[in-house]
Amino acid sequence: MDPLILIGAITVGGILVGCGVHFIQVGGAPAAISTATGVGTGTAMLAAGSGLTGIITAAAMTGQPLWVVLAAGAVGATLMVTVTMVFANIIYVYGIGIVPASAKVPIDPITKSPQEKYVTPGTEGHGIPTVCFISGIIGSAIGGAGGGLIYYILNSALTGLSYGAAGAATVAGIFAVSIFFINAVVASYNIGGTIEGFHDPKFKKLPRGILASLVVSLVSGIIAVLLIL
Amino acid sequence: MVDPMIAGLGVVALMGAAATISGAAEDLESDVGSMSNPNSQVQLAPQMGNLHRFFNKAISGEPVMWGAWCGIAGSVAFVFIKLNYPIIMAMAIGSFIAALIHSAYAVTAYLGRTASQSQFNQPLYLDIIVTHLGPIAGHGFIATFGIVGLSYLMTLPIPGLAHPFPLPLLAVIWGITMGAIGSSTGDNFYGSEVEYQHLPHGGGIPVASHGDITTKAGIGARNNIDVTNICSKFAGPTTGLAFGLIVFLSFWITIVFGTIGGIIAGIVIIVTLIFMNRRIELFAKDTYGPYRE
Repeated sequence: MDPLILIGAITVGGILVGCGVHFIQVGGAPAAISTATGVGTGTAMLAAGSGLTGIITAAAMTGQPLWVVLAAGAVGATLMVTVTMVFANIIYVYGIGIVPASAKVPIDPITKSPQEKYVTPGTEGHGIPTVCFISGIIGSAIGGAGGGLIYYILNSALTGLSYGAAGAATVAGIFAVSIFFINAVVASYNIGGTIEGFHDPKFKKLPRGILASLVVSLVSGIIAVLLIL
Repeated sequence: MVDPMIAGLGVVALMGAAATISGAAEDLESDVGSMSNPNSQVQLAPQMGNLHRFFNKAISGEPVMWGAWCGIAGSVAFVFIKLNYPIIMAMAIGSFIAALIHSAYAVTAYLGRTASQSQFNQPLYLDIIVTHLGPIAGHGFIATFGIVGLSYLMTLPIPGLAHPFPLPLLAVIWGITMGAIGSSTGDNFYGSEVEYQHLPHGGGIPVASHGDITTKAGIGARNNIDVTNICSKFAGPTTGLAFGLIVFLSFWITIVFGTIGGIIAGIVIIVTLIFMNRRIELFAKDTYGPYRE
């Protein structure tokens, strides 16, 4: 495979991952104690968990056309995040007894339902309202497709070399997981703590995050060329 | 001869069952060892004047930690399988080794974290280590055993499965995913409800109350065995169901509907879940009402 295609595809995949992480609503420790809206885990952690599920489902389609691998990655990652968000809300609503509400917008842009009066005084919202839910789905789909693209291109580049079929899939998988983590962590530094989704003011930092992902993915792509030399 | 699709469905169902048990054990381990984001409050409590008898362990981010344990268990199991040991025994040996390392890290994490709080007069209780270490290692063993089991099942040469990744890599990835799910679902119940049980039920935790954790149990001082007792009735099984459903659905759709049909079925399930989530949100708004008009 042409090294430039490998570098280009890894860079595009990395940018997709970095972009997707910005959509995923994560509240970190404050969300785990219902002081902030979103899923109660770290930015990189949920994105990585979903993206890696996407890589597993994408890798299960090894040998299929590119669009099938990308779609499988996107669907796998989105399924993981969607089920996690539903069960998180089940715990928030039925276990903790709170109403999912955002403190970043007075009215949910999708359902148009008011938010402010449902926020517990002294907190920055809690639970996962619909706008955050939809944002998480968009983010995981983009991130999962990005992870799938990185896996697909690496697996295609390594197949036929001295790695063997199993070795190619394994090395491609490890590299895809690594590049996913790198971009998820870079994006989480750009977010700086918590984000509710595309309606959060922090989402405006996205262009800077994409630039950072471009740089780290480009470097990762150049390192990946060493695998096919 | 069993139809390959039926065999595939059976294996996927078994994977879902293993994932459900693993997910529940993972969440309960994070309760008995006080792991992940809610542990920030256990760490903060002595600074706010609330001395406690909680275990205090956050070895790393929960997903990465589980990736490490499951990776160790999967790698050791992989080696023993290649040495022609029986599969179950190989998985048990791998999970046992992971549980030993887990225990060592749990002890050092507790000692290190508690020692760092000596300036706030937080005592270090040796009996807490003795009583909590068994449940931590036990839940860890169950969780890693389940993950290695489902990872092994994924590699079986059955249509729809036969995953190209080797057992150790699958175990690492599923471990990370399980940690992310446990950290996102069950831990919220520990952090928002059980950790602040003396605050009124039905609200978020105001910033002013941070660190004011519930330090008293029904009888005597509260510890994480009390916490796990409560969490095992709701948060643990819910986390298990979430992880089991993710593992099951991820492969069920392709085995039943094929490659393209599986992708479409996945999208249909996602749309259904969007509506289900909206129903839950509306239920909460209608039932609990606003905090202020």
